[in-house]
Order: sequence, then C-alpha cells, then structure tokens
Amino acid sequence: MKEFKVWDPFVRVFHWSLVAGFAANAFFTDDESALHEWIGYAVLALVALRLLWGLIGPATARFASFLPGPHAVMGQITDIATHRHRTHLGHSPLGALMIVNLLATMIAIGVTGYMMTTNAFWGVDWVEEAHEMLVTWAEVSVVVHIAAVVWESRRTGVNLARAMITGRKRLPEDVNIAS
Amino acid sequence: MNGRISDNAGILVMLIAVQSLCAAFFLWDVIEDIRPGGMASLTNLHIAVEAAAALALVSAIVFETRYLMRLMQRKAHLESQVSIAAGAFHEIMLAHFDAWGLTPSENDVALFAIKGLPIAEIARLRGSAEGTVKSQLNAVYRKAGVSGRGGLLGVLIDELVAGPLVEAGRET
Repeated sequence: MKEFKVWDPFVRVFHWSLVAGFAANAFFTDDESALHEWIGYAVLALVALRLLWGLIGPATARFASFLPGPHAVMGQITDIATHRHRTHLGHSPLGALMIVNLLATMIAIGVTGYMMTTNAFWGVDWVEEAHEMLVTWAEVSVVVHIAAVVWESRRTGVNLARAMITGRKRLPEDVNIAS
Repeated sequence: MNGRISDNAGILVMLIAVQSLCAAFFLWDVIEDIRPGGMASLTNLHIAVEAAAALALVSAIVFETRYLMRLMQRKAHLESQVSIAAGAFHEIMLAHFDAWGLTPSENDVALFAIKGLPIAEIARLRGSAEGTVKSQLNAVYRKAGVSGRGGLLGVLIDELVAGPLVEAGRET
C-alpha cells in the first residue's frame, strides 16, 4: 500500500457540508420554513467558495487540473472495458463530470429557490416545477455518484469514500497511476 | 480504421448519455404513475405500454453499453496497428478471442502476450499482480486448447495463411 495526500481540508469539509445541507433540505426541513431558505443560501455560499477554491486552491482542487477532455474520458472507459487497473490521484475524468453536474445543479436549485421568495416570481408555477425537478435530478445524480464511487473503489482497489474522509488515497502496489 | 472506431465510440458515449437521461425521465414518470395505485396500475393499458417502452429503452442502453465496452477493447488494441496485414491479423485474433469466450481481462492479457511482452511487463501495464496475469494467461491457453504462447500464436498464424477469415463472433 502506498499513501498519497490528495484532498485538502477545505475540499473535504465542503463535500460533507454539501451532503448535510442538501440532505437536510431535500428530506427534513419544511419547504416553507425560514430554515429551508437559510440552508439553501448556505449551500449556495459553499458552492461559491468551492468555485473560488477551484481557481486558487491546491492542485487536486483546481478545475484546471481535473476538468477532463474527451481523450481522458475515453481513456477511463478503455480502462473499464479492458479491466486494467489504473487510478487517478485527483478526480477521475468521469468523476469530474459528475462534480460539474452536481455543482451546476446545486446552483440552479439555489437560484430557483431564491426566485420563489421574490415578488416577481412568487407563486409562479414553472419556477416551483423547475425547483422540484432539479432536486429530483440531484437525487438521481447522488445515487449514481454513490454507486460509481462504490464501483470504482472495487474496480481499482482504492477506497475512494475513505479518501474523502481522511484526505489520503491508499493505492494497492500493483495499480497504475494515470498522469 | 482506428479513426473510425474512436469516432464511433465518442458518438456512442454521447448516445448512451442522452438515452440514459431519457430513460431516467421515463422511468420516473412510470413510477409516479404507479405510485398511487400500486402494481395494479399496470393493468391500465396506457401505463403498461409506458412501462414496457421505458424498459425497452433501458435494455437498449444495456446493449449499447456492452457494445461500447467491446468497441473500446478493440480500440485499445488497434491503436498501434497501421498496416493492412496487422489489421487483418488483428481481426482474426479478435474473432478467435470472441469464439473462445475470453473475458475482457483475458482478452487484454492474450493480446499483450501475442505481442511478445513478458509477464512482468503485462502486469505493469494492467496494474495487476504477476500471479494474476499468469492465471489469466493459463485460462486463455485452456480456452484456446493450446499449451503455451507458441501454440496460441500458431493457431492464429495458421488461420492467416490458410484460409478464409473466421465468421464466429464478428459484429462490425
């Protein structure tokens, strides 16, 4: 086993705060309550900080280092198809696509949620519909995200969930590291 | 040839992504329809047809994903093949691999073995232990009915010089 420090504390705190905030608003808080609104704004603020961190943070947190091109995406699919054990120290290309999806969805949920509190859009049907559909979309994405983390962890032998807690990826001796 | 395969694969990935979105939406719609009345709602012709259509789409996606995996295996192996002879040999090889029912791992290992790479190098390229590669290679030899690397190569060369291309398992 080799250990690599990959996720800085901000990335980890962001990840689990987002989990807590989204879960709270999707399942527990009263949709009409002030608490629901405040948690929503907190999630928006978190995402804004993450975007900033994506520009100025350490290497594995920076968008420039992990937003994948088509070549990288196809490379990961090739590894899956040929059962080759290759892992990425930072975000994998397919994982990065999920990050983009989730960040964008969180922003859209926050914006439509805020619109519902304004005079101009209060009680407007399509805003509410959009807000709810986006939440469903986010829930589906989260399920896919978790399934993919479990599956990739088994495929590469690197416990990805553990890494998001400790910040360190433990790689088996045999696995190759993708540059 | 190589260019065509990678273009196809890219398009296929997009197609699978878009169809998955549609399938997720239709499935969600069906679940919303069924929720109030339970499974009994499936006796409603409209809901039943909707559910069947959604399931058909899902099975199409499963099929496409399997096809994509095959395509990517081929692409991974064809990357360095430029000459017509190499391409023809490759076709024969893949047809045999299909006919023998090799797993994706065995397929990959067999290819590296035929290219003449030592076991240590194959293990390094695939990110697996040498013992794993050895047992995968043994499985390949067993399925091919040969005793070793030379025999494997012999079967394929025979085909190349002797007769028509095998048809089994061909799909492209």
